[in-house]
Amino acid sequence: MKSVQETAGSFPSQSHHAKEIERNKFPVARGEDVIGRLAVIRLEKGDTLPDIARHFSLGINAISAANPGVDVWVPEAGERILLPLSFILPDSPRKGIVVNLATMRLFQYKEDGTSLLVTTYPVGVGTSERPTPTGRMHVARKAARPTWRVPASIAEDHRKKGDILPKAVPPGPDNPLGEYALYLSKSGYLIHGTNKPASIGLTATNGCLRLYPENVKTLFDDTPVKTPVRIVNQPYLIGQRNGVLYLEAHAPAEESDALELEKLYKKLRTIEKKAQRTLDWKKVREAQAEARGIPVPIFELSQGSEKEAAKPIEVEHPETLYGKPEIPALNLRAWYVLAADLPDKIDAQRIAAIINHQGPQIPARVFKKSGSYRVIAGPFNDGSEAKKAAKRLKIDLEIDGIVIEPVKNG
Amino acid sequence: MKKLFLITMMLVLPTLMISCATTGELEKVQAEQKMIDAKADQALKDAQAAKAAADAAQVKADETSARADSAIKAAEEREKAAMEKEKAAVEMEKIAEEKAKKADAAFQKSMKK
Repeated sequence: MKSVQETAGSFPSQSHHAKEIERNKFPVARGEDVIGRLAVIRLEKGDTLPDIARHFSLGINAISAANPGVDVWVPEAGERILLPLSFILPDSPRKGIVVNLATMRLFQYKEDGTSLLVTTYPVGVGTSERPTPTGRMHVARKAARPTWRVPASIAEDHRKKGDILPKAVPPGPDNPLGEYALYLSKSGYLIHGTNKPASIGLTATNGCLRLYPENVKTLFDDTPVKTPVRIVNQPYLIGQRNGVLYLEAHAPAEESDALELEKLYKKLRTIEKKAQRTLDWKKVREAQAEARGIPVPIFELSQGSEKEAAKPIEVEHPETLYGKPEIPALNLRAWYVLAADLPDKIDAQRIAAIINHQGPQIPARVFKKSGSYRVIAGPFNDGSEAKKAAKRLKIDLEIDGIVIEPVKNG
Repeated sequence: MKKLFLITMMLVLPTLMISCATTGELEKVQAEQKMIDAKADQALKDAQAAKAAADAAQVKADETSARADSAIKAAEEREKAAMEKEKAAVEMEKIAEEKAKKADAAFQKSMKK
């Protein structure tokens, strides 16, 4: 077998620079399965991986898997981060909406004259206790500014934590459905927005599919009622582009691992037999074990000229990251909540970042105070707002916050 | 009478001849002994010098060995200290990782509806 230039995961030379990179919409060439391009970005002070993920329309799962060992909340400034913006399309008919639960990614196919276009978004999916169902369904109806009718099971979960939910939550910042919802024909399951954007790429829903607010708006506008929806669970994807076979491996759910691996090896053996050449099984096993969620070139399908996999492109850091939580300026007349007092700076920064990424956002920052680091949440307009934030910190993060009154009154 | 003189001469002459040979031999032996003694003295001196040199070398070797021992011991101690430091660093890293994991788990829980 001829070697395929391995570039996935390696960083590019100075010559591959770009200001912008396509992150959602890609043409699908006939007979090809791989879309997009890998990229790298240099982190700046104060960046978190969820901020980078959102700006580039990636989920936390994808950016974390592609960058093992990088601190999600307090990465080092100057560190180079791989943006896994190349995807192998799921093994499914290219029609309507296809969601791959294992990769936590939604693909929306559209015919454009004679060519096929795919728009892809990261999603948040159901937990192992309340998983997202797989199978064929369709969009039954759509609603802008939906009201969330709280299911009894969720109301009970919250009640146990001392949080009494109303029967219905109207549109607004406290509504977990966000601004748009597409109701699926499978009753009780929706594709919707979120008031917790940092949950995209996590198994955090009760079976619904969550999208970033900016993505669900586009999907909502582009998706007519009755659009077919197919939900699959494919942790190992193989596909070709430009005569090169790629493998994209994701960490599978434990129970499906053996079965999915068996399927993958069967497919690869068939390809090997057809090509009448030996596959580099070591490379296959490495990609599978690493499970970085990026397409790795494993085989040159057609013998001939040496083919090269596309090199990652270096993307400039934008001036502002889209959706990055903003922290209002300090105000001596405002209320605050002391969320933590820690001896370690990194620990304090991590807690502040996690608080900042709550939905709705609770602004938080770190103060250095003689040998310790204080995490201060706020500013809040009044005492009731501060108390509400302290309650959320307790219920959601098990943090016992102390409400701080304003320095100056009036 | 003539016969008697002959017999006497026959007995006396060899005796004279023997005693002359013994004196020369003795002088020669004595000279050789002196030379051997001198040689022995030299050999003894040489041996003593060699022994002294050997002893000095041994002392040096012992000193070197002792120095090597203490160097090995110091190196071992340094290695032990480094290992302990590394162990502590690994432990710290583990604690930091645990903290990060715990924070992440709390975050993931907070992202549910």
